[in-house]
Amino acid sequence: MLVVWLMVVALAGSLVTLVVPRQSAKTVAAILGGIVVALYIGLLVHPGQGVNVAWIPAWGIRFHLGSDGLSLFLIGLTVVLTEVAILASKPEWGRVYFFWILFLEFGSLGLFSALDLFLFYIFWEVVLIPIFFLLTSWSGPKGRQAAMKWLIMNLFGSLFMLIGIVAVAVIHTQPFGPLTFEISQLVHLHMDARVTPWVFAAFFLAFAIKAPLWPFHGWMPDAYREAPAPVTALLSGVMSKAGVYGFLRIMLPLFFPEFVRYETGLLIFAVIGLVYGAFMALRQTDMKMVTAYASLSHIGMIALGIFTLTRVGILGATFQMVAHGLMVGGLFIILGFLEQRTGTRDISAMRGLNASAPRLAAYFLFFALATLGLPGLPGFVGEYLIIQGLVVHHVVFAVIAIIVLVMAAWYMLRVFQGVMQGPEGTKQIADLKAGQIWWIVPLAGLVLLLGVWPNGLTSHAVPSLYHAVHLLAGKGGSV
Amino acid sequence: MSLFHAMLPEYIVVGFILISLLGNMLSRQRHVASWLSLIGMLSAFGASWNLWSYSLKPHMFVGGGVVVDNYSLFVNLLVLLAGLGTILLGWREKRWGTEFPVLVMLAVLGMMILGLAGNTITLFLGIEILSLPLYILAASTHTALGGEAALKYLLLGAFSSGILLFGLALLYGAMGSLTFVTFAKTVAAPTSPLLWAGVVLSLVGILFKLGVVPFHMWVPDVYEGSPTAVTQLMAFGTKVGAAAILLRFMDFGFYASPGWWGPALGYLAVLTMIVGNLLALPQKDLKRLFAYSGIGHAGFLLIGVATHNLDGARALLFYLLPYGLAVLGAFAVLSLVAGDRDQVSVADLSGLAKKRPVMAAFFIVVMLSFAGIPLTGGFVGKFFLLQAALFANQPGLAIGLVLGTVLGLGAYLRPVQALFSADGDDQVAPNWTVGSAVVLVVAVIGTIGLGVYPTPIVHMVNQSANFFWLH
Repeated sequence: MLVVWLMVVALAGSLVTLVVPRQSAKTVAAILGGIVVALYIGLLVHPGQGVNVAWIPAWGIRFHLGSDGLSLFLIGLTVVLTEVAILASKPEWGRVYFFWILFLEFGSLGLFSALDLFLFYIFWEVVLIPIFFLLTSWSGPKGRQAAMKWLIMNLFGSLFMLIGIVAVAVIHTQPFGPLTFEISQLVHLHMDARVTPWVFAAFFLAFAIKAPLWPFHGWMPDAYREAPAPVTALLSGVMSKAGVYGFLRIMLPLFFPEFVRYETGLLIFAVIGLVYGAFMALRQTDMKMVTAYASLSHIGMIALGIFTLTRVGILGATFQMVAHGLMVGGLFIILGFLEQRTGTRDISAMRGLNASAPRLAAYFLFFALATLGLPGLPGFVGEYLIIQGLVVHHVVFAVIAIIVLVMAAWYMLRVFQGVMQGPEGTKQIADLKAGQIWWIVPLAGLVLLLGVWPNGLTSHAVPSLYHAVHLLAGKGGSV
Repeated sequence: MSLFHAMLPEYIVVGFILISLLGNMLSRQRHVASWLSLIGMLSAFGASWNLWSYSLKPHMFVGGGVVVDNYSLFVNLLVLLAGLGTILLGWREKRWGTEFPVLVMLAVLGMMILGLAGNTITLFLGIEILSLPLYILAASTHTALGGEAALKYLLLGAFSSGILLFGLALLYGAMGSLTFVTFAKTVAAPTSPLLWAGVVLSLVGILFKLGVVPFHMWVPDVYEGSPTAVTQLMAFGTKVGAAAILLRFMDFGFYASPGWWGPALGYLAVLTMIVGNLLALPQKDLKRLFAYSGIGHAGFLLIGVATHNLDGARALLFYLLPYGLAVLGAFAVLSLVAGDRDQVSVADLSGLAKKRPVMAAFFIVVMLSFAGIPLTGGFVGKFFLLQAALFANQPGLAIGLVLGTVLGLGAYLRPVQALFSADGDDQVAPNWTVGSAVVLVVAVIGTIGLGVYPTPIVHMVNQSANFFWLH
């Protein structure tokens, strides 16, 4: 039940922020976000059963929410990053801004805990709406177009997935199964070989657009560039994980034989994204865009881990999802502080800022190093596991992945050096304030904890993933 | 059950039409007539609701010409909702005399008759009773644009009525019967050219009223020129009436042979969804935008007929409700923003989010419902249609629905983004009026309610469209 309470607090909280006085909206939102974090700690201790009640009985739709090893830590990522995003926002953005942030939290929590396909789809689309309005009203000069692109591209994919979802449920009724959208029941489905590729493509399109995977990332540069830093952090930290989560939660159990059949093609897809993202990151002059393309590259890496179809690769992807969310979220927020203080994002316009803002520089370096995969920090663990999964059957891809890791160090350090090091510029900027330190430290601490104690996550994630992959083995997969 | 008892809602409306006419002689004040029509339509609503709750099996009267069943009663509920909305939205309009509420009730009566028509005569009666008051209402504000709209509507409407009548006559010639249910027996036999021509011509007549491509040309001009409250009645009520009779005509008369008309309507549905929503994209005038979006929605509704199964009939009936609620809400905002003007453009919405945040929020909800975003009724409706299309093994309809929805999305998001634009800061904030506020609140609560917990309405629709032969 606790997982439902998280959502109830987020939803009720979003409505509460609409009616509180304007100047205290941020404080109220932060307190409500804090309550959700506290409830989440309770959920970690007592995972519980979730909830499963009939919703639209005529169509076999159930309100079925729960948390397992796969979703538990993504829920954690959501609540932590939302709280960080609230604290990093400006109070003058007003009530409606915090309403949308908390509403986004509600949608994301629902997305990660839904176990009924219909319910999953509801939340899958619900999360699009807050981002649309955040991009419309609290963004840069081209925010409108970015918002439009975001919603239309994502909905295009999602609606095809909706056809896929209904198709799967309809096929399940033939010849005489019940109409159901329960993922655990649809797993046992046997589809006609002529239909399966189309249904597979419908789901794949939706998840690939949301992630985004190359070449479906058309909305990404605009949205990441235009959104305010906390929203970019949520976009790349939480939303991009939703797409990857879809591969793990829905596609892998439903379409394992197809994954085996298309494996090489899918790996090539992912590896192109990995390399493309890295090269694009190298040639950006805007520091936010470097991180945006770095994020595209990392999503390619996570997808690579899933498409290995080995336990260790999938485990690495699961781990990397959470780790990447925390790291890149922190990085975007630090970049947001920099932009706010200097008024620019152009790398060449900044230099030597570490002299006037040493603490900011330190945290920047910390998150940058984590993102590029320094051993001891979680990026390394995830990438190691993914590459271990690749080495078994696909050495070539493993070699490419390692080369990209070297490039990652190059593009991240290039930004850090350009902005922070070198001779001191004329400009002096303010350092991090005490009020900001006290939530950046826990975030960094969490990243460090994951880096030195990955087992805390992987030991929980293993059983349910093992279960998933094992189940699939019966459908002709090789594990 | 006697004919009087079964047709109580219709009799109530007729009664109140007569009372209002008498009342108009005694008092020239319009709010008397408006109140009378509100009371009349609310009591008819109550009577339909009451009949719905205990009449499960269909009752046929006048040799099958009048079929009162849960289906017709559900249609009654929908069109009365549209009529009530029209009266409330037009409450403050100064240019209308006392005849306005009477004409609205008359049009609603026509729509109710379309819901229960069981043969070609009642069909034609319903269409004419529905259309004639609307011709007058379109021109009722005495503006040049309104006159143009009314004339276009009248000429094209009369033309389509002629085609329909010709088609119905040919059908009678081919089958020797006027009643839908007896058609089915004849249709099963080898078909004659006479029958084919009859079906084609009658379908054209009905599809014209529904506003399906390629018979949609009149829709934007008529919507644009008509007064806002009347446009709402056309967008919601007429569509319900036309969809109801189309479904009854096809599923009662031609259930035995989905032969060629199933695919034909399917292609028309896809064409309509795509063309309607595509043309909605560049519109600057909000009424034209909703006209094209209405055409697109006619395409969505057509899916329910084209699937030729029980799910399709139910999905169509269900879809009418969220669509109608969204129309009510959208036109309520339109009439508030327009004030005394007849024309509203997308740019007139600029800055509404800042000036009237609640109004803007309500408008966003109904637009998201039009677009089919979850947690609004529009999504559940589209989901229902999608289910019907796939159960009928027609993925083409499903893909058409998806493409139409994506195109429509672009059209609906533009007004929504305009709400946040800073351009309109110098314009005065629109004032709330009681009638529009009531309509808007009902529409928004209904839209969200349908999206969050559609179960009762799904149940109701499943009871209403329960044609045993489609099982």
